[in-house]
Amino acid sequence: MSLRFWRLFVLGCLIGDAAHAADVTLTDDRGVTVTLAQSPQRIVSVLPSLTETVCELGQCHRLVGVDRYSNYPASVRGLPQVGGGIDPNIEAIVALKPDVVLMATSSRGVQRLESLGVKVLAMEPKSSADAQRVMGKLGQLLAVPDAQRIWRAIDASVSAVAQSLPPGARQLRVYYEVSTGGYAAGTGSFIGELMARLGVQNIVAPSLGPFPRVNPEYVVRANPDLIMIGARNVQGLETRPGWRGIRALRERRLCVFTAEESDVLVRPGPRMAEAARLMARCITEKGLK
Amino acid sequence: MPAALQAQGIGVALGGTPVLHGIDVALPAARWTSVVGPNGAGKSTLLKTLAGLLPHSGEVQLLDRPLAQWRGRERARRLAWLGQGEQGADDLSVWDVAMLGRLPHQPWLAPPSGADRAAVEQALRATQAWDWRERPLGALSGGERQRVLLARLLAVQAEVMLMDEPLANLDPPHQADWLLLVRELVARGKTVVSVLHEIGMALHADQMVVMAQGRVHHQGACDDPATHQALEQVFDHRIAIHPLGDQWVALPR
Amino acid sequence: MSGARHSLWLGGALLIAAAAVLLLGAGVGSTGFDSVLHARHDPVAWQILWDIRLPRTLGAWVAGGLLGLAGAVAQGLFRNPLADPYLLGSASGAALGVALALALFGTTPFATQWAVRLGLTGAAFTGAVIGVVLTLALAKGVQHTLRLLLAGVIVGVVLGAARDLVTIASPDTLQAMQGFMLGSTGFVGWAACGVMAAMGLAALLVAASLGRVLDGLALGEATAISLGLPLVAVRAVLVAVLALATGAAVAQTGLIAFVGLASPHLVRSIVKTTHGRLIVLSALMGGLLLMAADVLARWIIAPQELPVGVLTAVLGGSYLLWLMHRRRRPGGGL
Repeated sequence: MSLRFWRLFVLGCLIGDAAHAADVTLTDDRGVTVTLAQSPQRIVSVLPSLTETVCELGQCHRLVGVDRYSNYPASVRGLPQVGGGIDPNIEAIVALKPDVVLMATSSRGVQRLESLGVKVLAMEPKSSADAQRVMGKLGQLLAVPDAQRIWRAIDASVSAVAQSLPPGARQLRVYYEVSTGGYAAGTGSFIGELMARLGVQNIVAPSLGPFPRVNPEYVVRANPDLIMIGARNVQGLETRPGWRGIRALRERRLCVFTAEESDVLVRPGPRMAEAARLMARCITEKGLK
Repeated sequence: MPAALQAQGIGVALGGTPVLHGIDVALPAARWTSVVGPNGAGKSTLLKTLAGLLPHSGEVQLLDRPLAQWRGRERARRLAWLGQGEQGADDLSVWDVAMLGRLPHQPWLAPPSGADRAAVEQALRATQAWDWRERPLGALSGGERQRVLLARLLAVQAEVMLMDEPLANLDPPHQADWLLLVRELVARGKTVVSVLHEIGMALHADQMVVMAQGRVHHQGACDDPATHQALEQVFDHRIAIHPLGDQWVALPR
Repeated sequence: MSGARHSLWLGGALLIAAAAVLLLGAGVGSTGFDSVLHARHDPVAWQILWDIRLPRTLGAWVAGGLLGLAGAVAQGLFRNPLADPYLLGSASGAALGVALALALFGTTPFATQWAVRLGLTGAAFTGAVIGVVLTLALAKGVQHTLRLLLAGVIVGVVLGAARDLVTIASPDTLQAMQGFMLGSTGFVGWAACGVMAAMGLAALLVAASLGRVLDGLALGEATAISLGLPLVAVRAVLVAVLALATGAAVAQTGLIAFVGLASPHLVRSIVKTTHGRLIVLSALMGGLLLMAADVLARWIIAPQELPVGVLTAVLGGSYLLWLMHRRRRPGGGL
């Protein structure tokens, strides 16, 4: 009896050890390999989409600091803020004693933090494929075993939303303006991919790249049926020369997204399903008339 | 008379416009020559060309060697030039400005030597500027400033000195001082060439070069009647040269 | 009281003030003075103090010194009190150089810290030289203030546009360049400090030794030539010094305005002296200015930070306004 107990005990210990003694090794988007002794318990995230991914994986409690633009879920708003992507506060980050820092690859502080001995994972999801990959990596990092399942669920929701759209949606020609100055969402962008999954046509040709700055003339000539734009950028849209004749504006088929809604649509991350729902609502309410 | 500075066939064009035409002139050594003429005659241009500061056609010889063959610093040690109406350097002290005259003598990074200091003191005393050697140049009046710039020229201790309007802003007592100074320099064997528009002062020189419209009209001794005639000619006979004791004066007619 | 003694006093005062601000800077930041108190037994606090705050504060001093040096050289070389690394196109050139380097070699090159810093500094230096040379060529000499400033502004705008083209063409660099343009001393580590200090020392020695030539030049170009000064060679060397100093500062800290313009004026308002001493004092003054701005930037809204470029613009701009106001009163000429 006691021998069996001891065997089980030792086995239990071994299994327990194995769960914690495993090194976590990851390669980030730069190709740099980062090794951690154990799954990190204190994480600083300097990119909103990464913050949202961590929380989606149920590990929000491990975040000790975020950037000033991370605002979802509401719980992260109470965390200490360490600056933004282009001006991270190095001292504040180091003072939080993070096990790992999640940053965008283009962020300026990456090298500086690494030279101070802080472990940095640089990832910047730009498309839904990126977002899936990031979720997988973060799942590995945070020892969340079913990260892929979470992704599949999100993906399935998007498909469901797409299927719920009436067939007339396929004929719609849509223009999404991302920011003032005429930066449009191209087919290679996250938004463009969503549009493709929902079955609508993007007036921006694929050859123009993910965020081309299109000539306003181009939009007039393409004559989209539906225009999507953020509230920040909608000022003066109709006064643009020649735009009054665009079908979308003539027939008042214009979706203006609030700042929060824009955040959801622009960030390639786990809120993809919600983004799809926002877009679908826009299509059914304003697009199909 | 041996010539300290000689020029043959000098032609100079400024901004495309020809200013000097075919000038031949020989400036005698150990003498004071004044250059006079109406406005726009090209006096300053000639002086600058003789100092090697302007591109020109023709040849200039300094101390019997073509000017082009002199190396910069070597030439700067033997020929000093003072320009007209020099602005700037307001922050430098009088002492520092005078010390600039020693630049051609100082090895590259060396601090001022005893000889440099002696030369500067001598130059500042000669122009009565020694008492304000600590003051910044910008705090001085026009006349005081001119005296400091003169001191800068003297500090070079060059054999040949070219001065363009050295009496600008100087009051009569200091003009008289300058006269004595030049005479003293010539007595010590220096060659002085000055562009002056004060004809009375110019007539105190040993030789005079009379210029008009970019050419040398006449060159001769200052007490030579031919020189006086040439002077009256270039000024359209609006002036007359009269003797006054052992001097000459120019009065409007 | 001779100019030499005055200069010595000022130099000493600037060094002492710098030391004081350095100590202050060690105690100011997102975690405040706590890090200093706990430095002995908390390795993170020690790291904050020694690896973050000190190199950053010291780096601000050196970068400010480089900019002050560049400003004094520019003002002496161009005999123009409004000359400044920014107004002569050297800063825009440096930024363009960095943009090209980032675009061509990637935003996170796999090299050791020293090599990266030197590489970026080299690119910035090349760009700065091109900027100044273009300005000089466009202005056809330095005689006319207006033409020089106009040329500098034009070159600055054109090179800035070129930089925009580069960042648009390689959108990966867009974010990095945005961060870079926003001048900041926050990313300066010991390696960056070292590079700047080395460049600064070299530039300072060369420029100070040419101080006498600048003095001669102050009397006018013709007088300088008549004194046998090798103007062409000296100008080339001083342009290189200007570009090196600007490039080194811009490569590590981005675009920080006004320090180069204000430092020589600040020095001149306290002591009137020769160029050799002015250059050294201007470097010390610039260092103090930027270091103070950096400490303020960390202090005013701690634990957050203001961009240091905003503070230098406010401080430097106000000073210049005050200077102009004071000179407009009778008794002073501008």
